[in-house]
Amino acid sequence: MASNDLFQRFAALHVPGNPLILFNVWDAGSALAVAKAGAKAIATGSASVAMANGFGDGQQVPLEFALANARRIVEAVDLPVTVDFEGAYSAEPAEGARNIARLAETGAVGCNFEDQIVGGEGLHPIEVQAERIAAARAQAGPDFFINVRTDLFLKAKQEAHDEAMLDEAIARANSYAEAGASGFFVPMLGNLDFLRRLCAESPVPVNFMTYPECPSNADVAATGVARISHGPFPFMALMGQLEAVAQVALA
Amino acid sequence: MISKFEAFAALHVPGDPVILYNIWDVGSAKAVVAAGAKALATGSHPVGDASGFGDGHQVPIDFVFANARRIVEAIEPLPLSVDFEGAYSTDPKQAGDNVALLAQSGAVGCNFEDQVVGGEGVHPLDQQCHRIEVIRRAVGDDFFLNARTDLYLKVQDHDDTLVGQVIERGKAFADAGASGFFVPRLADPRQIERIVRDVPLPLNVIAFPGAPPKAEWAAAGVARISHGPFPHRALMAQLTEAASAAIN
Repeated sequence: MASNDLFQRFAALHVPGNPLILFNVWDAGSALAVAKAGAKAIATGSASVAMANGFGDGQQVPLEFALANARRIVEAVDLPVTVDFEGAYSAEPAEGARNIARLAETGAVGCNFEDQIVGGEGLHPIEVQAERIAAARAQAGPDFFINVRTDLFLKAKQEAHDEAMLDEAIARANSYAEAGASGFFVPMLGNLDFLRRLCAESPVPVNFMTYPECPSNADVAATGVARISHGPFPFMALMGQLEAVAQVALA
Repeated sequence: MISKFEAFAALHVPGDPVILYNIWDVGSAKAVVAAGAKALATGSHPVGDASGFGDGHQVPIDFVFANARRIVEAIEPLPLSVDFEGAYSTDPKQAGDNVALLAQSGAVGCNFEDQVVGGEGVHPLDQQCHRIEVIRRAVGDDFFLNARTDLYLKVQDHDDTLVGQVIERGKAFADAGASGFFVPRLADPRQIERIVRDVPLPLNVIAFPGAPPKAEWAAAGVARISHGPFPHRALMAQLTEAASAAIN
């Protein structure tokens, strides 16, 4: 299938209230296993890719490895593939945009692109992040799902999530959407009231990430979320299962 | 202090086999280390499946080396053996160079098979022995060359005639410089006993779903039990199940 059609198909899966479920993968083998489960799309998790290959998270997976891994996953499945691309491997807008364009050339139809300063502290200022997004959009063209992630909630403990942070998230969602973002991703936001307000006020589909003891998919869907992903948890759970079966075999 | 290679070689005890639960990347290696493994071994099939390249020398050799290097680093100080298929060349000299490069990745041993990769059947015995000799010279003494015969994979009838051919290969591989003898799909404890008696190398068999209990194989004199592609396959089935529950 032409990647343009795959992109259209992928974008159309983001339905507020009836979210696309992404069970994150890390290599071609895990992508095939998830495709076999009936997945409509495939998403990588950067932490999983890093752990599977012995690299640290935070852009420690070499860019060339990340691109080659993406290409192998795209070739392995007939589904749209989105890649967790962290901070696009550069704080500099033009270089980040070039990297995203290279990722699009692998056949991936989208990526996560985060606003935290990778390897530094805190988040890029809102106007800096908007400039990075605009540059990425200009390079990648219209047919690429740029799922812009804010790490506001990830950087703070759950109990510290408050209205002021939500206001800032909504401001970021609006600014990012105007700059060309296709989606807005809020890992570790789990407050259903906050999610409801964010979904009502974000001009682009909202992505929720599951985590241990988070609200149910049904409750999250009811807030208007359009995409639910699983981050590093599928990989971590599976490695726990591998350890358990290996223990039996080695005994 | 004994070297990593010596530690690995010493684990091959007929009657008290080393168990290798085959892995394919750093993540799987760490999980198997956490389970208490004494040594690790990759499987070429799982590496091919996980990376999407496929089995049969389809994984680029540089990927194999880089993957081995990453695993060696992650599991320090445990030894790693790499399933190296046919050493990526039918030319003995080239195969020797390839195994020497693999040793530089930090792996202490490898599987080396006698099937014609990408072709039919197995290499004639004299050719295979020549390949083993050249590889041994290229890699030196401190490398566990686990010479595999694919006769049981290639021939339907696992009868006495075949056991005789396997024994002939095992003895010749030993003379050529092999450290171990690997016979995938061999399972019958009586045949194992015969091979162990006649071949002067530690014997490696693969555990598979429905295989005889490991204790029975141990009693027959097996020195190494590996798991081939089965750990990866089983785990990917578990992943499909978990994904299915999450998606539907």
